[in-house]
Amino acid sequence: MTEQYFSGLRIELFLTMLILALLVGKVLAIKQNPIGTLTLISVFLISSIGISFMQNESGYLFGTMFRTNSTILFEKAILLAGTFIVFMLGFEWMKKQKHFLEFCMLLLSTLLGMCFMISSGNFLMFFLGLELATIPLAALASFDLDEKKSSEAGMKLILSSAFASAILLFGISFIYGTTGSVSFDTIASAIDGNNVQKFGFICILTGFAFKISAVPFHFWTADVYEGAPVAITSYLSVVSKGAAIFVLMPVLYHAFGRMSSTYIPALILLSTVTIITGNLFALRQKSMKRFLAFSTVTQAGYLLLGITGNNTEAGASVVYFMLIYIFSNLGAFTVVSILQNRTGRDDIGVYKGLYKTNPTLSMVLLLALFSLAGIPPAAGFFGKLFLLSSAAGAGYYVAVIIASVNMVVSLYYYLNIVKMMFVDEPEITIEKLKPAVTEQISLFICCCGILVIGFIPAIYEYIYNLSAAI
Amino acid sequence: MDATQIIKTIPIEHYVILSTILFAIGVTGVLMRRNAIIIFMSIELMLNAATLLLTAFSTYRSDTPGQVFVFFIMVVAAAEVAVGLAIIVMIYRNIKSIDINVLNKLKW
Amino acid sequence: MMTKIIRTFVPDMGYASLILLMFCGLIFAVGAILVSRLVSPYKPGKVKSEPYECGIETEGPSWVQFNVGYYLFALIFLVFDVEVVFLFPWAVVLREMGITAFIEIIIFVSILFLGLVYAWRKGALKWV
Repeated sequence: MTEQYFSGLRIELFLTMLILALLVGKVLAIKQNPIGTLTLISVFLISSIGISFMQNESGYLFGTMFRTNSTILFEKAILLAGTFIVFMLGFEWMKKQKHFLEFCMLLLSTLLGMCFMISSGNFLMFFLGLELATIPLAALASFDLDEKKSSEAGMKLILSSAFASAILLFGISFIYGTTGSVSFDTIASAIDGNNVQKFGFICILTGFAFKISAVPFHFWTADVYEGAPVAITSYLSVVSKGAAIFVLMPVLYHAFGRMSSTYIPALILLSTVTIITGNLFALRQKSMKRFLAFSTVTQAGYLLLGITGNNTEAGASVVYFMLIYIFSNLGAFTVVSILQNRTGRDDIGVYKGLYKTNPTLSMVLLLALFSLAGIPPAAGFFGKLFLLSSAAGAGYYVAVIIASVNMVVSLYYYLNIVKMMFVDEPEITIEKLKPAVTEQISLFICCCGILVIGFIPAIYEYIYNLSAAI
Repeated sequence: MDATQIIKTIPIEHYVILSTILFAIGVTGVLMRRNAIIIFMSIELMLNAATLLLTAFSTYRSDTPGQVFVFFIMVVAAAEVAVGLAIIVMIYRNIKSIDINVLNKLKW
Repeated sequence: MMTKIIRTFVPDMGYASLILLMFCGLIFAVGAILVSRLVSPYKPGKVKSEPYECGIETEGPSWVQFNVGYYLFALIFLVFDVEVVFLFPWAVVLREMGITAFIEIIIFVSILFLGLVYAWRKGALKWV
């Protein structure tokens, strides 16, 4: 009995222990050493990824509160890997901070919240995980204490996420009132799709749309991304968004399974509008972080489109896309982070003629952008292919055609940056930058991920076999 | 007459209408007002609308999870406000104002 | 085991225990006031009859803006005050759940305590 709890909660227990250890270390004022702390965190994160692949039985813990199965564990492994890369790419910035340990604690707490969120089998657990994942993020976004922009980003993040969770709760209370339960299983059997439930569902979907920054609830994204420190921006765009998408699937398929005639049109509408708007805004951005923010918005649209497919296929394609997306987006953010730390600028002008001075960095950025745009040799192509074929398999051809046209449009702005790097003359002279060891690790992992995942079909098959149990 | 009975003397529709009105006032406040503290107050109003609805439904169904949910909402709201107020104080130190319109370094 | 210990120390008296608690509280409060009335000498003065404010003479109107530096106390109070929400339901079900609930609340409170110690180490409790 007890072993079952320990094995089901192993990743969460690991993370909690790590956070508490850091807090105790801070309280006892043990001599701080950023590199030692980073090593400790890395060892914990990597071993957590390891134990997430251990054998386990799927099922529920604490009544219906906590769900666990092999797909959820794989999703957690993806989030852990993303956090590990974020620590690597942001370390040069982090170690200069006065409150380094607090930064780590808060970042790990949000990760803990996301782990609880994606294995929730109950709206109460889901809500708590969501809040644990978002409240520390606001503190993290405003971590640059002297930077006006940063505190503004934190303010906007906390206001919009509190607003979103209030709407979500209002929806949950209607669902609770009409079905008499907050657990996904009971809701699934009691729901009949009447108008009150439709209203509640729309409220819940709105809350989700805020989290994954789908249009028309995306207005906070670009501001927060630009103002927050680069490490947090990359974390928000990858790990936080991934967790929200991962939990959206069980909520839709499990709890609202019988309302698929309501949620599928809503999702298709949301995804088409998101893809088109994200593309249009990305075209005219001058700041690299804002540009990547709108690129993230567009990717969220593709993810939403993928979710509309048949359960197993959709689940597999979404998880597979997230796996690739983590490497491609974090690869791009590593380069942005290196350039911003060394030159203090993040406008697109810095990237002009980057190939002449820093060929390695521009090659990595090229790979990452190819993967984000979905150009064949990079893994992103396969990710998008599976997402679209999942939607097409369910027969939503119009949406798939719109999405494909937009993929072609998006080539323009992704390749525009590539052109700037390789063809244009440099605007300012940047000397040859030497990435620190941690940044090199991050660059290396991301490149490997982008290149390798697309060429090993076994990975998709593995995910497909897992997600029979979404 | 115990508390449950007293609560049930008012039909459930009235609770739903009241909390919907509260929620609408909250949403309007968030969208219309530009002062960060007033926006927080409006968000609290929205949360309280959800809380009221949960309590009413839970009493009518004689089912406790709804009320447990309410406890957690209260605690989470407090945590949210704590972080939000800390950020407001930080902004105040930087720019001497808490009007959201002053926060235009980044376009809203 | 633990359940037994709790039971022996806290006999189940139903609602009588509530009345007893109220009675004890009343005696404590009234007793303190009565004792100070009886023991202390009565010598009113101009300063003494003013509203009490830290023992110093009051200065200026009371409707002033508070120093923003107090926000830290407000925040810490807010967080630790609200956590009591969980202690009340816990106290209600302690008898039925026994040792498990006891251990869980110990963990919960000790994590909170760590937070308080952290705030203290950071100097958040220092009087400004």
